Amino acid sequence: MADSLLKVVDVYKSFVGVKALQDVTFSIQPGEIHCLAGENGSGKSTLIKIISGVYTPDAGSIEINGRQYNKLTPIEAINNGIQVIYQDFSIFPNLTVMENLAVNSELSEHRKLVNWKRMRTIAEDAVSKIDFDVDLDELVGSLSVAQKQMVAISRALIFNTKLIIMDEPTTALTKREVSNLFKIILKLKERGISILFVSHKLNEMYEISENFTILRNGKVVATGSTKELDAEKFSFHMTGRKFTKRHYRVERLSSEPMFEAKQAGVQNGFEDVTFSLHKGEILGVTGLLDSGRTELALSLFGMRPIDSGQFYMYGKPVTLSSPKAAIHNKIGFVPEDRLSEGLFLPQSIADNVVISEIDRLTKKAGLVDKEKRAEEIEKWVRELAIATPDPNNLCQTLSGGNQQRVVLAKWLACNLEMLVLNGPTVGVDIGSKHDIHGILQDLAKSGLGVIIISDDLPEVLENCSRVLVMKAGRIVADLETDKTDESVILSYMM
Amino acid sequence: MKKTLLLVLAMTFLVSPFLFSAGQAARDDGYEIVVVPKDSSNPWFVRMKEGVDEYREETGLNVYQRGTAQIDATLQAQLVQDLIAQGVDAICVVPVDIESIDPVLEQARNAGIVVITHEGAALENVDYNIEAFSNVGYGAFIMDNLAEAMDYEGVYTTMVASLTVGAHNEWANAGVAHQKENYPNMTLLAAQPRVESHDNGDIAYNVALELFKAYPQLKGIMGTSSYDAPGIARAIEELGLVDRVFTSGTGLPLDNAALLESGIVKSLTLWDPAEAGKAMASLALKVLNGEEIAAPVDLGIGGYNAMTFREGSNTTLEGEGWIIINADNVYDFGF
Amino acid sequence: MDEMLKLKLKRISRKNEPYLFLVLLALCLLIEVRSGQFFAANNLVDIASALIVPGLFAIGAFMVIVSGGIDVSFPALASLSVYASTTYLLSIDYQGGVWLAFLLSILIGAVLGLFNGIFIGYFKLPTLIVTLGSTNVFRGIMQGALDSKQLATIPSGMREFGTSALFIARNPVSGLTSRMPVAFLVFAGVLILMFLMLRYTMFGRSIYSIGGSEVSAHRAGYNVVRTKIIIYILVGMIASAAGVIRVSMMQQLHPTNMLGMELKVIAGVVLGGTAITGGRGTLLGCMIGTLLIVIVENSMILLGIPTSWRSVFTGALIIIGTGVSARQVISMHKVKSRSIKQPIRRGA
Repeated sequence: MADSLLKVVDVYKSFVGVKALQDVTFSIQPGEIHCLAGENGSGKSTLIKIISGVYTPDAGSIEINGRQYNKLTPIEAINNGIQVIYQDFSIFPNLTVMENLAVNSELSEHRKLVNWKRMRTIAEDAVSKIDFDVDLDELVGSLSVAQKQMVAISRALIFNTKLIIMDEPTTALTKREVSNLFKIILKLKERGISILFVSHKLNEMYEISENFTILRNGKVVATGSTKELDAEKFSFHMTGRKFTKRHYRVERLSSEPMFEAKQAGVQNGFEDVTFSLHKGEILGVTGLLDSGRTELALSLFGMRPIDSGQFYMYGKPVTLSSPKAAIHNKIGFVPEDRLSEGLFLPQSIADNVVISEIDRLTKKAGLVDKEKRAEEIEKWVRELAIATPDPNNLCQTLSGGNQQRVVLAKWLACNLEMLVLNGPTVGVDIGSKHDIHGILQDLAKSGLGVIIISDDLPEVLENCSRVLVMKAGRIVADLETDKTDESVILSYMM
Repeated sequence: MKKTLLLVLAMTFLVSPFLFSAGQAARDDGYEIVVVPKDSSNPWFVRMKEGVDEYREETGLNVYQRGTAQIDATLQAQLVQDLIAQGVDAICVVPVDIESIDPVLEQARNAGIVVITHEGAALENVDYNIEAFSNVGYGAFIMDNLAEAMDYEGVYTTMVASLTVGAHNEWANAGVAHQKENYPNMTLLAAQPRVESHDNGDIAYNVALELFKAYPQLKGIMGTSSYDAPGIARAIEELGLVDRVFTSGTGLPLDNAALLESGIVKSLTLWDPAEAGKAMASLALKVLNGEEIAAPVDLGIGGYNAMTFREGSNTTLEGEGWIIINADNVYDFGF
Repeated sequence: MDEMLKLKLKRISRKNEPYLFLVLLALCLLIEVRSGQFFAANNLVDIASALIVPGLFAIGAFMVIVSGGIDVSFPALASLSVYASTTYLLSIDYQGGVWLAFLLSILIGAVLGLFNGIFIGYFKLPTLIVTLGSTNVFRGIMQGALDSKQLATIPSGMREFGTSALFIARNPVSGLTSRMPVAFLVFAGVLILMFLMLRYTMFGRSIYSIGGSEVSAHRAGYNVVRTKIIIYILVGMIASAAGVIRVSMMQQLHPTNMLGMELKVIAGVVLGGTAITGGRGTLLGCMIGTLLIVIVENSMILLGIPTSWRSVFTGALIIIGTGVSARQVISMHKVKSRSIKQPIRRGA
């Protein structure tokens, strides 16, 4: 292994007594695509920062091209061809593509004056390396996420780059954009550039990487060839827990549908959508990003009221013209972006739990009944196993999975009939994902109507009894999950 | 570390105005009488402070002046509230804004504090209000000056600090009434009968520039605030209108010596703010001592020794303290 | 070729300045129609002369807002530095040129700017809090330690500078004259230097970069702390120069004369399309916005607006002006997001 591009040897790092990394050793060969995986807090970002010279390890060393560094500076990292593409891409949304591309190299050459011609040459050069077709004079802020990522990649290539570290690059991308990104990664590999791909999605790891390293609690728990990894091993290494898959089985299906949509439509969203939901079943809705699934989710909660067709509950027509109307009809909603739509992050967990049932907890005089409130909060924090020492802590102190549980608790406190979830486990780590699935299945068994809108096919197959596939605003298939598989669903989606 | 720093910084900011303002040691004996001017940097009130300080030296009483950094109705109200909390015996105020100070003065009176005002005839919650002269008389006096400069003919308009400054508007109204009675060849500019200078020389200048451009027939501007006439004069000089258009109004002698000597402004009118400051303190003392206030009131100060109540008012006392300033006597006043 | 042209037109239509310019033109024409005086040479000179001080302030405020901050202390800063230097020059009975007044004032302004800059750049405190606080400190020093009062006379050099004219405009009809002050050259010079700095130096670009994303700027290798400190020093220097000009032109020093100008100056900068969140805006737009405010302030009588409606009218202009440009930006975003979505749907 003398020809390793990068070798991390026995690295330790701790912050005020907390061990972030312990005895971490791994290496990357030139032209290798290596996947680094781990749950939140496993030490991934610390490791990236050590490789890029932002942090100095407490013990251990880093070898680049056979040269050993005990103390690597950011400049040395860059000079050795190491570039990091952060999740926020480190871009300037207010500046043009050209300036974004050229600014780093101008700075590294310590220029004082700006030569716009030279900047344009640098920028043109950079985008041509990955055949990125973009208007150099466009503001980066008005580009799509994928295009922003391309800007960041192009910029990384300006330097004599040997290793690009990509921090969860697929998080905000559509399927098409992901496959495009993978094409570019393969192209980079052909040119001998190594990629350290940080991800916690197994299917992506399979698709793109040759080797993997999994971190848990700051230690390397598994490393090797991706081919030898399977889903079960992966989740075990990631979480340290064994999971048994729980395929959802419908036990008691109500004879009459509890919710129906007939020829429902919304302009620029979806049309002619007809389906029914029975008590006891979990209905999945899937499709590509622009298939209309998100619009349908919003309509079910009154955020984009339908302008044709009709919704029914227990056979009676209902008008879902606003979230308030939806709540009144005992429909709850867990949004895709829980951070911006579902929670009041700077407020306490307790407040978030009771916000939707505030009317019920209010005494006649308009004051909140404190005892009742405390009871409710106690109940839901226990029931959903929200990991917090104190429900009065702020919501933003929780991990993604626990935040999602708070969103659930908030709705369950309202005694719902039906719960609509849009991408319920996006950005949630494996352990929490498993727990959330368990909660949903239990809820459905106890008689709650559940609709899961998701493009995570394994999630849909595991948890739903039935799945609707949407494409270009219409339902194109209605499938029983135990009689279908991913490839069938995909064929309808594409 | 950052929080501590922020705290220290905040404290510094809070305390700094007090650190830098002259401290007034409280004296136990006798009354504490505080004069609150519109602000503390306008030389008008600097002069008033001289009078107040002189009065303290003459009488040995605890009388002092304290003003806000800039002309601001809210700050003035706050300052008066602070003084109420401090428990002074009498507050003498030259109000910035009638409506915002009146309720605060009510608080003061409810707290048993004697309230004397100057240039605040429209105030309700006062023991007494002192005017150096009747507003009607002074307005007419300014008008006489302006009319003489304009040779008793032509179009004119009036300028006040703002439409809410009581005294300025009363002078302007009286000036206009006086003109209608006595100077038939003069007319008030109907399109813009009253403009504002916001007690700011630069605004007075810019407003005057505009007036002369928009109304070529305009021959005179009657100023009221001490910033008005000097600002207008700058416009007259720059537009090349010297000896063709005229202004008159209140102004301090030395500040305007150059204007008067160059003939851009023929004459200014004035009363001595130092005497007004003294008069307020003196009247406050009389009230505190429980003396009966009946006309004619003699405050023992020139121009204020036979004060009479304004018609229809039992709070506003008027003297005859106006003076005229021109190139001949500009250096005679010592301020 | 046609595509190129379309792209160019699209890009221009997305800019703020053309709309602002139209608003400005409409306002000028309205005043001209109402008074017949607006485009007279002497009136234009008056407007130019009234623009100098707010214009200089606006350049400083613009720089701060682009960097993602906000500064409300510049009028107090300018008042303090010009008061301190003028009283000093009076005390030594200085008879020389105005340059020393500028030099002293700008030096003091730099030190006061550094004071702001250290708290904002080095200690990373919020800009509004720091500058609100320093406004009080600066005013407190002027009022208390320096015991400020109105100065009826100013040093001869400043007096001459204030009345010296580049040229004198004369209205052939009314015969009225107006001086174009030499001070206008100072304003023009600062404006040009600032334009060049913002466009052609890495320091200038770093101001935009920090305003766009401080984290990205740091990662790209900009020295964010140093840049911020320098920004506030520059603002202090520019504001102090404006202070000297104001006092020279007024021929007297009124210590509180400039206080309170910050709101109108900032309104002008924002009216000119500068994003209050930082990162976006052009000096040209900023100047058009400031000019709009200055013209409105100095044309109320020409427009025939009654005194009691003045502030209503100014306020309405600010709301409408900023509203129009804000709407422009919103509708632009709507068009954009639709145009991104469409091709994907066609493909799918």
